[in-house]
Amino acid sequence: MSTRIPIVPENVKPLPALKENEGMLTWVASIDHKQIGIMYIIVSMIYFLIGGLEALLIRTQLAQPENAFLSPEVFNQMFTMHGTTMIFFVVMPLLIGMGVYLVPLMIGARDMAFPRLNALSFWLVVFGGILLYYSFFTQSGASEVGWFAYAPLSEKPFSLNKGPTYWALGLLATGIGSIASGLNNIVTILTLRTAGMTMRRLPLFVWMILVTSFLIIFVFPIIASAFSMMLLDRLLGATFFTPAHGGSAILWQHFFWGFGHPEVYILVLPAFGIISEVIPVFSRKPIYGYEFIAGSTVAIGLLSLGVWAHHMFAVGLGNVANVYFALASMLIAIPTGIKILNWIATMWGGKIWFATPMLFATAFIIEFVIGGLTGVAIASVPIDWVVTDSYFIVAHFHYVLFGGSIFAIFAGVYYWFPKFSGRMLSETIGKWHFWLTVVGFNMTFFIQHFLGVMGMPRRVYTYHDFPYWGSMNMISTIGAFVLAISVIIFMWNVRYSLKHGKKAPDNPWNAWTLEWATTSPPAVHNFDLVPPVRGRRPLWDLAHPDNPDEPNAKIV
Amino acid sequence: MNIWQVLSSTWNMEPWVLISALALLVGYGIATGFKLTKLSALYISGLLIFVLALVSPLDFLGRTYLFSAHMMQHILLLLVVPLLLLLGIPKALAEKALKIEPIGSVMRVLGNPVVAWFFGVGAMWVWHLPSLHDTVLANDSLYIAQQISFVLIGMIFWWPVFAPVESRRLSPLVSTLYLSSACLGCTILGMLITFAGAGLYTAYLNPVDSIGILPLIREELCLTPGVDQQIGGLTMWVPGCLIYLTASMVTIARWYGASEDYELISDSGTDGLVTATSQENK
Repeated sequence: MSTRIPIVPENVKPLPALKENEGMLTWVASIDHKQIGIMYIIVSMIYFLIGGLEALLIRTQLAQPENAFLSPEVFNQMFTMHGTTMIFFVVMPLLIGMGVYLVPLMIGARDMAFPRLNALSFWLVVFGGILLYYSFFTQSGASEVGWFAYAPLSEKPFSLNKGPTYWALGLLATGIGSIASGLNNIVTILTLRTAGMTMRRLPLFVWMILVTSFLIIFVFPIIASAFSMMLLDRLLGATFFTPAHGGSAILWQHFFWGFGHPEVYILVLPAFGIISEVIPVFSRKPIYGYEFIAGSTVAIGLLSLGVWAHHMFAVGLGNVANVYFALASMLIAIPTGIKILNWIATMWGGKIWFATPMLFATAFIIEFVIGGLTGVAIASVPIDWVVTDSYFIVAHFHYVLFGGSIFAIFAGVYYWFPKFSGRMLSETIGKWHFWLTVVGFNMTFFIQHFLGVMGMPRRVYTYHDFPYWGSMNMISTIGAFVLAISVIIFMWNVRYSLKHGKKAPDNPWNAWTLEWATTSPPAVHNFDLVPPVRGRRPLWDLAHPDNPDEPNAKIV
Repeated sequence: MNIWQVLSSTWNMEPWVLISALALLVGYGIATGFKLTKLSALYISGLLIFVLALVSPLDFLGRTYLFSAHMMQHILLLLVVPLLLLLGIPKALAEKALKIEPIGSVMRVLGNPVVAWFFGVGAMWVWHLPSLHDTVLANDSLYIAQQISFVLIGMIFWWPVFAPVESRRLSPLVSTLYLSSACLGCTILGMLITFAGAGLYTAYLNPVDSIGILPLIREELCLTPGVDQQIGGLTMWVPGCLIYLTASMVTIARWYGASEDYELISDSGTDGLVTATSQENK
């Protein structure tokens, strides 16, 4: 098969091979995309528990006015670490992990294009996280400057502790891993598709991963440079972001949001991909408007690069700049709206089967629309000036990132768990998990819209006993604990089903993409033989040779 | 003067604009046989915008008072006019022209995506070097050369994406990459201009107030040099990028609209079954 000349000569005696019973080492040393994908998911779930615990501490402190459960310093560390963890060590690696696991299977490939780079990306994320959390053990604890670490607060005279240094180092390492995995995904998708898998037949999840990967390699270098400059400022006495010495604090904001806004789409586009896979399968219809979903993704990707200054309306860039950015930001509602309508049109008239993945996907649409609508509202400058840095914003982005990304991830985990593990997750426990998540999530965050409009600023460790503030915050806190219970139920479902779950057939949902043509779980080499691809739903075409999706496609 | 008087009295019927537009129109008519079709409508609208951009108050204001007016004119001449002209050229005509040497080989060099990209993005960057821009404003023939170069370079830039002959076009996904990287190029420049602080282009700081409308602009319209420069930078940045974005969407729509070209290659397996793709068996 291979005619390449090996750069390193083969050993005369083969190196000792890993045997099955060597346990953890088969995982740690693995370069198999499926094992790496699962490790990504497991590690992110651990960080999800840690980040969730931090959220519970925050909510407990805020449960009643003038509470003294946490000191202001610890509270600051909690919200900083909660935000950083959830963005960089939960949602991103979860989505990348699912991509790493599924992309080669969906395009009929044996592995990623660069398996070793794939392992490197993963381990950089793991060690980046450890570096970040190590800061808790330093003298004055973790970073206290918020997840966007505005200068000059994050600079030396104002933050003398080691926290922000570890924060920047950890994220820098993770960021390098993300860039590597973005490159790996792009090369894999462009070069390793099986015969017949043209770019126009690519499963939508793979499309979204492709666009996301381009966004990653465009914007992560920005933030990596910014982290490096911040480290230079903190460690070597440079003054990039200190106005007192000729630097510019606003520059940090431009760098951060120039990365930070596309990052929102990096966190939500793969989620759109999951939804675009789940909804057609559980509506028993092909996706409505494939072309529009794929095309609008490219539009979102491009628009997202040029709208970051809407995070900076309160900075004072000038009215003109604000107006331009407000208009450009509102434009993103168009391609996003196209997607929402396509998903609804797919469900319309379909035979909808509300299994747990579909429940989460349906709830995703509703929660994400709420987050999207408040997003359009705060793209308008005067509204933003009223609610910026208030709990309204907190509510908005939790609707996008939890109601959006995390709901989609849960849909994806319930959908693909049989493929990952060979066992079905329990539907009964799944329904409990779903309903508690919906109730807990909305209870926690919906009321925060009102708190924000009433003037409660974000990031305050406590507040005076203004009318209703105490009771509204108490409701939010109770919601957070309901949400925590739902997560515990989910974890228990995973644990229980891994041991006692129903054995999964190869294609339990009767789905149409190539990953379901493998065994559950797939063999190490993925496919014995890949089925022919003559349309967007290869397994449908295989089962219905008399009624294929593309009747005119040539047979090779 | 109020604003309407300014807008009605500052039209400037430059002979070179009218003559070149007329020549282009007649030339096009001779080549295509004076028929009104969808293509000729695109071409004519391109010429109309070309004339309007250069004789209307936009030109007068952009040359003397307002950087933002210059930038709007710049976007029209570099991005809109050439695109419309290029879209208006019929395929058969272009094929015939490309057979004639040296047009064919010249377009092969200029239409190379790397060359065209650097021309397109370079035109923005080079012509907006502050010292060069100030020189151009003070020199009439250089000014005319600049405007003509915008249109020509614009056509070169759009060629790899919208060439009338399909074989000269990039594939749709590569076009998207081509356009989005160009968008990034003009975003960075737009950003620099927007956030540079007033006075990047000194000519607009204290313009020679030949018709006495400076108080109107500065006080009634509140277009201080800083605001003016911000509008200019943002015009390059946001609407400029939206044009690239729209063009990307058009190429993607064309791609999905076209019939599937069966790029199926398979040499093995029964009934289309193949082994999984990997680095080894590629």
